[in-house]
Amino acid sequence: MTGTVRPRRLRFRLPWESALFILALLGLWQGLTTWAKLPNPALFPSPALTFRALLASLPELLKGTRASFLILVPGYAAAVVLGVTWGLLVGTTGWLGRTFFPFARAAAPVPPTVYIPYAIALLPTFRLSAIFVVFLGAFWPIFLNAAAGAAGMPARHRDNARLLGMGRTAYLRRVVFRAALPHIFTGMGVGLGLAFILLTVAELFGASAGLGRFVQYYADFADYPRMVAGILFTGLVTLLAMGLLELVRRRALFWIR
Amino acid sequence: MAPDPLAASGPAPRALGPAPGFRLEGVGFAYGDQPVLAGLDLTIGDGEFLCLLGQSGSGKTTLQRLLAGLERPSQGRISWRGAPVTGPGIERGMVFQDYSLYPWMSLAENIGLALERSDPSLSRAGRRERAAEYLDAVGLPGTARKYPHELSGGMRQRAAIARTLALGSPVLLLDEPFGALDPVNRARLQDLLTGIWREAAPRRTVVFVTHDVEEALYLGDRVVVLGSAPGRVIGELAVPFPRPRQRRELFASREFQHLSATLADHYRAQILDAMNPTLAMTGPGEGL
Repeated sequence: MTGTVRPRRLRFRLPWESALFILALLGLWQGLTTWAKLPNPALFPSPALTFRALLASLPELLKGTRASFLILVPGYAAAVVLGVTWGLLVGTTGWLGRTFFPFARAAAPVPPTVYIPYAIALLPTFRLSAIFVVFLGAFWPIFLNAAAGAAGMPARHRDNARLLGMGRTAYLRRVVFRAALPHIFTGMGVGLGLAFILLTVAELFGASAGLGRFVQYYADFADYPRMVAGILFTGLVTLLAMGLLELVRRRALFWIR
Repeated sequence: MAPDPLAASGPAPRALGPAPGFRLEGVGFAYGDQPVLAGLDLTIGDGEFLCLLGQSGSGKTTLQRLLAGLERPSQGRISWRGAPVTGPGIERGMVFQDYSLYPWMSLAENIGLALERSDPSLSRAGRRERAAEYLDAVGLPGTARKYPHELSGGMRQRAAIARTLALGSPVLLLDEPFGALDPVNRARLQDLLTGIWREAAPRRTVVFVTHDVEEALYLGDRVVVLGSAPGRVIGELAVPFPRPRQRRELFASREFQHLSATLADHYRAQILDAMNPTLAMTGPGEGL
């Protein structure tokens, strides 16, 4: 009966079906571009060409990743902190909910891309406006999910907090936050996806470096091997960020079987 | 049943005429326009072990929540030791059927929440130590770092009792705490609870909600039967058995069986009363 809690084993196993599918896709790509030469070879670079371009531009891509993350991380972090805090408050406070929810319902579905030109005009630097747009995109799903999680929390958690005489901040931090965490992670996942989309779109408007900027730049020069390499690399970075979030989620929600 | 010299004058707290702990006068409660309790008068002695017996829908859980201060009565008054009950308080601890613990906290952290309240001067390490002591006391040694999902239902209820004890409340409100347990665990926890109650001086006031007649008779100094729609007191019984009670002998005794049958009849009559309208509505050929 003694012993400590072992954290659940964290590992990703690629199902063989999925591995096979990816191999088949690569094979199709190779077959179409190298042997069949069906599509226009100038527009569809072969895998070999693309991987060579990827290797050649790796330093530039890494620099671009750094530039992108300098936008993504502050914007996303602000969205998480403010979205969760505000969501928990709105979800647990009757009058705040009545005041803010109707507004949120109207504001949340507006595609944040429409704010990009205005944000660039309004804010002093490109980086600030891009951060702001990323923030806006990620904020709504995180806020809405946190609020829903807090409002839908089982009443028993509140009863127990009252019986234990818990103060308001302790209640929000140690009960509501933890109870809403599954919802919050859902919102953070959606928010992260949107943040990447908005980041790359914002970079098309005026970045000097970044993942979206890289793709845009080589597309303008019709250097499609590099462009495709940039797309693949961006996908990989997104995948890694999502995987990291999933790792954190499983760790944090160890108590859900 | 062996006579117990300590209990020669009958169940002590009752015979001495206990100071009123809870006093309920004309208590009514409604959810919207649905009355749950109406005109309920009840006095619960300080240090008394009271069992509230009632079928589902009799408002026994609501009554329990009113005593805890989680709900406010729509009519009437409730007081504890002379002071009106206006909200939850540290002097009234509660154990629910299966959800008193926060699933994201270890047992030590759960109990620590109660200790933060009952003894704010304790350091973090002091809380951990005390939590382990409470866990030992309910028969869960070495489980301080376990999480509720790693425990069986019986162990979770033990930990829930430990948490409520850590609050240091003179009142224990238990809402069908053993209702989800298997018979063996249920018996063990009943004995654990009466043991804890008997050992403490002065004794805690226990209000134990159940729908199990034998459980009520085995545990209580007094059994109050609630009728339904709306809930009110329809009968009560001072349990004549001295303590400590020996489960096997007591259950086999004629007096226990007689009382249990009487209570069950009382109780069943209520259930039938409540079912009659339903039966009448679903007569042959109707409804389908």
